[in-house]
Amino acid sequence: MATNRTVQLRVNGVEHEGTVEVRKTLSDFLREDLGLCGTNIGCEHGVCGACTVLMNGETVRSCLLLAVQADGMELMTVEGLASPTGELHPIQEAFREKHGLQCGFCTPGFLVTTYKLLQSNPNPSLDEIKEWLAGHLCRCTGYEDILESVKLAAARLRGESDAPQPLPKSS
Amino acid sequence: MAESIKHPKDLPITQPRYVARDVPRAEDPMLLTGKAEFGNDIQLPGMLHAAILRSPHPHALIKRIDTSRAEKLPGVSAVLTGQEVKQWSSPVFGIPEGWTGYALAVEKTHWVGEPVAVVAARNRYIAEDALELIEVDYEPLEPVVDAVKAARGEGPYVLEGKESNIAYARKFSYGNTQGAFDAADVVVKEKFRWHRSSGNSIETCICIADWDPVTNMLTLRGSHRSPHLILPAVVFSLGLPSSNIRIVQSNLGGSFGVKTFARYVTLISLMAKKLGGRPVKWTEDRIEHMIGNSSHAWDRFYECELALKRDGTLTGMRVDMIDDMGAFSEWLAVGQVIKPILAFGSCYHLPNFEYDTKAVITNKVPQGPMRAFGLPPHFWVLEQLMDMAAKELGMDPIELRRRNLISKDSFPYELPSGNVYDSGNYEEGLAMLIDKSGYSELKHEQEQARSEGRLVGLSVVSSIEPGLTGPPMLSLASPRIFTRTSSPEGVLIRIDQFGKVIVEVGFPEGGQSQHSFVRQILADYFSMTLDDIRVITVDSLTMQPGTGPISSSLAIALSGAVLGAAQRLTDKLARVAATMLEATPGDIEFFDGMFRVRGVPEKALPTMKVVMSMTMRPDLLPENVDANPEATYVWNPPDRSIPDEHGWGRYSVTATSAQHLCMVEVDRDTGMVEILKYVMVDDCGVRLNPSVVRGMLLGGLAHGVGVALLEEYVYDDQGQILTSTYMDYLMPRITDVPSPEQYEMCTPSPITALGVKGVGEAAVHTAPAAILCAVNNALEPLGIRVTEAPFSPLRLWNAIHGRPKA
Repeated sequence: MATNRTVQLRVNGVEHEGTVEVRKTLSDFLREDLGLCGTNIGCEHGVCGACTVLMNGETVRSCLLLAVQADGMELMTVEGLASPTGELHPIQEAFREKHGLQCGFCTPGFLVTTYKLLQSNPNPSLDEIKEWLAGHLCRCTGYEDILESVKLAAARLRGESDAPQPLPKSS
Repeated sequence: MAESIKHPKDLPITQPRYVARDVPRAEDPMLLTGKAEFGNDIQLPGMLHAAILRSPHPHALIKRIDTSRAEKLPGVSAVLTGQEVKQWSSPVFGIPEGWTGYALAVEKTHWVGEPVAVVAARNRYIAEDALELIEVDYEPLEPVVDAVKAARGEGPYVLEGKESNIAYARKFSYGNTQGAFDAADVVVKEKFRWHRSSGNSIETCICIADWDPVTNMLTLRGSHRSPHLILPAVVFSLGLPSSNIRIVQSNLGGSFGVKTFARYVTLISLMAKKLGGRPVKWTEDRIEHMIGNSSHAWDRFYECELALKRDGTLTGMRVDMIDDMGAFSEWLAVGQVIKPILAFGSCYHLPNFEYDTKAVITNKVPQGPMRAFGLPPHFWVLEQLMDMAAKELGMDPIELRRRNLISKDSFPYELPSGNVYDSGNYEEGLAMLIDKSGYSELKHEQEQARSEGRLVGLSVVSSIEPGLTGPPMLSLASPRIFTRTSSPEGVLIRIDQFGKVIVEVGFPEGGQSQHSFVRQILADYFSMTLDDIRVITVDSLTMQPGTGPISSSLAIALSGAVLGAAQRLTDKLARVAATMLEATPGDIEFFDGMFRVRGVPEKALPTMKVVMSMTMRPDLLPENVDANPEATYVWNPPDRSIPDEHGWGRYSVTATSAQHLCMVEVDRDTGMVEILKYVMVDDCGVRLNPSVVRGMLLGGLAHGVGVALLEEYVYDDQGQILTSTYMDYLMPRITDVPSPEQYEMCTPSPITALGVKGVGEAAVHTAPAAILCAVNNALEPLGIRVTEAPFSPLRLWNAIHGRPKA
């Protein structure tokens, strides 16, 4: 039956080592063993996209991967976006300003995929944004404000001078 | 009390800076960084994990259940079965009374997915392993699948001890409907079918129960929509005193109705009882959410007719409706059957109507509440009949609607059912929609497309969202239990020793932004900044009387409560200020954050000074004022009544209105619907935070797209559910939902604080009717009309190509 393995991986720049049952999902490992609960689990069958993280720079659904498959890998989760001193990432800023979230449960997945999208394509068209985000379900926003958030984040990350300036930190 | 502040300009500040403006949400930073605590994030010392064995049969006797192998599996702590649940609890709460079962199947199972046993183990993996080791011998019984047969009284009967499957039946009759039909120039009639769907919040249900056998104290954590709703249900089923129950709240990843009920809370609590003091967590998986919970909603068979005069005047409507409730009439779900009487004619003047309803029990997932609580199918059938009548009369469908809109001079408008719309201006809404959408141009485009053989359709529909419904309506299903008109919402406001304002609210954040708008209101009220106000969610032992954010009540009830408490607190502080300023309390006014003597501008004190004196100089306090700068207030809806024997009552508080236009194209070869244009005019009174309201309307539109075109729970004729994952139950994605044009109207409510109206359930009231009517308009050249929702590609393709129903 269950056997254990040791996995070593780097998450948000921090080295972790843990002994894990081979059948344990990556999402459970991140949440339960590493305490990184920002990665939410919505459907556990790879459709809703809430649990999306980056593994060696690619978006993956952590509910469909086993923790042992991440051995030796470099991961980024939603916790890796903001700076340790509390500065939100421009993508997070944009979601806040454009009201790209309501309950916020699906949001970590959207943020991670948006991060990868804008890294791969700094100036995506509307259809390209939709194509990238079509693997994520949101029940609250109707997606429109998520689209606006991604467009604003893209403009800011491109350094466009006419992009609206971010809000002050509090309020 | 709070109602004296009828509009943002009535706040005690020269110029409000936050209310009715786009203000960033207080909730967002925690959510965006992954720091917000959701129920599933909680880990307690020694906590076990539960998994639930579910019935594979829709209707079967449980002949034998053997848990011994499961119990022996290393890592398993205990297995809970029906006999213990029967011994330790009552059947779960539901109205009408007596139409539910236990939280776990005891003698027989009632639907595919009903819990049969619960395992608690060291982790969820082992608990699920153990489920496979539980042996159950079932003796399958004939399932009840056909709701129409059930409504005719045919057996077999689903619930033990019942000689019927009809949980609720009532014919509501208002005005002289027979007379209206006798005198009608035109009558249109049609049958409609509306399929099951569910709220499907992206977070599933989570419950953590910790039952200390020594103190007999039960602590509950998880994803609970409102402790005010969960607590009575748990008290009822467990027989535990309310003071022995503490519900601690976490952020919710959405609810849309699903997390307001407590069957699984009862079940996991009983698992905890068996565990003798070890906490246990249950994390519902998506399949369980789709087949096991009381989550499905609105499974309806309609027969309807509409009576009109030659000039288009609407004179009467008859609706016969059977709703398939599934196996239990659980919780308050049956209210969804009744709710249409609150807004039967939508924005149209409808003087006479009859509504013959039956809520029937079958071997399917029990219904639960869903966003908009039963109104959207009703508005679809009404609007579809309006389109049919327009065609019959040879009248433009918009002209027909315009002629029947409730006039802006008739508010407050009383429906024949006694319910009242507080305010509105539907003529202006429709005019704005026609103007802003460029309707005549769209009509021209449609004609052009039709001449090319394309199936392009247009619709213009209306809806009403009754804000804050509840006990008066529910008394129609259970007069014994719902003998009240109250829907309380209470808060506590405290000013701390540093002058910061702390607000205690009794229910958690779940996307509705209440922490944000409470900050906005109080920052303006006290002339402070947003960061001076902290809003917290308290537990069930600390909370004020309340209800929670259901039935589009949040902005109405909570703003009323917050302003009521703020006024109480400033009244209290004014007495202290009066002593300090050597004036009488009656001469003290509070404005721009200052307590000042009326007419003597130089005699004024800032709030902080008064608070400091109050807390630090008890010797200077006036009589009967304690050194405690805090106040509570419990708001209640005004002017509601218990309905009389004819079903006449005052049921809701506000009436939010909408006029939407939809333009679609149907692909004849695939049956796919493309939404070419969607235009929304919405009037929900004063918008506390316009971007939040806009977002809710957009979310409601997406939900409406889902239930109109995609989402459908399907059962086969043996009662097996065929849709239990997101691969076969289609949720609307970013590529399915249109980018609408949104236009705002503001007819403030004359009743509520700040003039707000309920809008949380939003466009899900309007969008299904708009989309479905537009599709049928597109199909008109083919001479067909589809009457079964959702309009999935297969269903439309079959209709277009003359195939029988799939």
